Amino acid sequence: MHDLVIRNGNVVDGSGAPAYKADVAVKGNRIVEIGEITGAAREEIDATDKVVTPGFIDPHTHFDAQLLWDGCAKPALSHGVTTIVSGNCSLSLAPLKAKHRMKLVGMFNQIEEMPLKAFEEGVVWDWETFSEYITRIRKDLAINVAPLVGHSVIRLWVMNDAAMERTATDAEIAGMQAVLRQCLEAGAVGLSTSYVDMDERLQPVPSRFADAREIDALASVLGEFGRVLQIVPEFYDADLTIARLDQLAETSLKHNIPTTFSPVFLNADNVDAVARVMKRVDEQFARGARVWPQVQTRPIDISFSFAVPSLLFIRFPSWYHIMRFGTPDDIMAAFADKDNRKKLIEEAAALAPLWPNLVFRHGKTDANQKYIGQTLAEIAEQRGTTPVEAMIDLSLEEDLDAHFLASGMGHNDSAAVGGLLNHPHVHIGASDGGAHILSFSTYGDTGYLFSHFVRDLKAMSLESAVKKITSDTAAIWGIPERGLLQPGYVADITVFDPATVKRGEEKFVNDVPGDGYRYVRDSHGIETVIVSGAIAWTKQGGYKDACGEVLPGPEAKTVAA
Amino acid sequence: MAVEGLTQVRKSILPSEGDTWNEIAKRELPGLAEDEAVAKLQSWNLHVFMRAAAGMGHAGSANPILPSDVIFVEPPLAS
Repeated sequence: MHDLVIRNGNVVDGSGAPAYKADVAVKGNRIVEIGEITGAAREEIDATDKVVTPGFIDPHTHFDAQLLWDGCAKPALSHGVTTIVSGNCSLSLAPLKAKHRMKLVGMFNQIEEMPLKAFEEGVVWDWETFSEYITRIRKDLAINVAPLVGHSVIRLWVMNDAAMERTATDAEIAGMQAVLRQCLEAGAVGLSTSYVDMDERLQPVPSRFADAREIDALASVLGEFGRVLQIVPEFYDADLTIARLDQLAETSLKHNIPTTFSPVFLNADNVDAVARVMKRVDEQFARGARVWPQVQTRPIDISFSFAVPSLLFIRFPSWYHIMRFGTPDDIMAAFADKDNRKKLIEEAAALAPLWPNLVFRHGKTDANQKYIGQTLAEIAEQRGTTPVEAMIDLSLEEDLDAHFLASGMGHNDSAAVGGLLNHPHVHIGASDGGAHILSFSTYGDTGYLFSHFVRDLKAMSLESAVKKITSDTAAIWGIPERGLLQPGYVADITVFDPATVKRGEEKFVNDVPGDGYRYVRDSHGIETVIVSGAIAWTKQGGYKDACGEVLPGPEAKTVAA
Repeated sequence: MAVEGLTQVRKSILPSEGDTWNEIAKRELPGLAEDEAVAKLQSWNLHVFMRAAAGMGHAGSANPILPSDVIFVEPPLAS
């Protein structure tokens, strides 16, 4: 008898092959049969008019902290995501000596916008090594995790404070190689590094003090395991991105490893730049290098108030400094002071087209309710002022509890983005799941892929979209026996309604340790999510007990695509 | 050196240990007066030069060049 049979579904098996009607049988954690299955099962799911696909794999997340209090990585699992890659952008929570914990908390707070209170109240620090961290998260894991180890963290482990000051000595590089090797043996899927991020002091993160020989030495260890190198390049500039991808290509060829960089944004201002980057990607793939650009499906819609630092202002040093280091009273005083205000307004002029289109999203005073939903241009016109001054005035009137929305950042041309997502060398990802929780929701990118690019724009077929976020991703990351529906594969399965699948509206919820809030989106049209053969989430019943795994796992020897 | 299959892109280097604008200028732009070469390098690498001006991301050093920085040694290519 089978443990589970999913009946009458349209099987989209992740290979890109056309959908076909079939039943899918599961025994233990494996798919054992696909076809017409007559035998009984302990549990059955009716998938009539639904599609049955491999579970989705999200290759760019920052769930490292959340996994310590939420083994489901909510709400990612409910969106059909059965595997997440954590530890991107040079930051992981292991290996981590006790004396470096607050440094990592500061970096996660600055770079990933994780609230300090969440660490204070949600994290019991009971690990140091990577292996100990894996043991710790495994206890409550309901989603699969393929953890990257962060380059900045390895540097801190070996070099202590010098990691943030200088290049490494030969002995220190050898030490980092040994630590990386231990992490990979413990199950890490690869190494992440960053060329752009700044720490809580607005100084470069440790990985940015590495020279070329250090990267080469670490890549040589990745080569021993065939594991992935992930980087964040200077994505705002095409020449810099191309220079980085050329470095990645040489590293990929020399050490025979897959590499990936993220993000790549496509908008009306950078069409030619993205075309140049993609041309270079194609040239490097033609040489045999593996340099996968990650492209996210959604535009970035940034919500902000001046009560917390927002990435939106990182290009405006005067604004960002006061947001990052000032108390609410400092910020109010800076906004009220005539000279300071003048300086801020002058600096904001550098990005003049941004401000008029910002939308006033939330305020608490009765007097300002009439402005909710209006743009700053509209509000400014009514008040006889400028959009930037209107933003400052509303923030003062609301004691900084005025919330604004900058929508359509990053991508802003869906037709062009659809073409880019279809590119054979584009790796769909870069959701940033679990990060930036006070700026925007990082959940539902897969629903948006199906609703917007498959169903509405018809930019790609359902089969191609599924392949992109399942078997392609598993192959790139060297995750064996996942990403396809075929007998013998692990039963990570998502069942959804292709006519209704989409991401829900963004909402602000109070479910972060330390009485914290975050933006999330519910899923729509996802019916059932199965992880390693066990039902992990259903539309009717919510989250269930499941048993996620750490991937690719210590035993995996598969060389990634 | 050109690599077969790769089109020309803007020429860049990675810094050597302890590199400053002046060191890179002497090495990469030997035909120019040092001051002029430094000025050109800085104008081609605002992503590095502007760190000091913004007070961010230079680790308190007078030398804003990080070991991992991409340094362009020519202007953007004509499109």
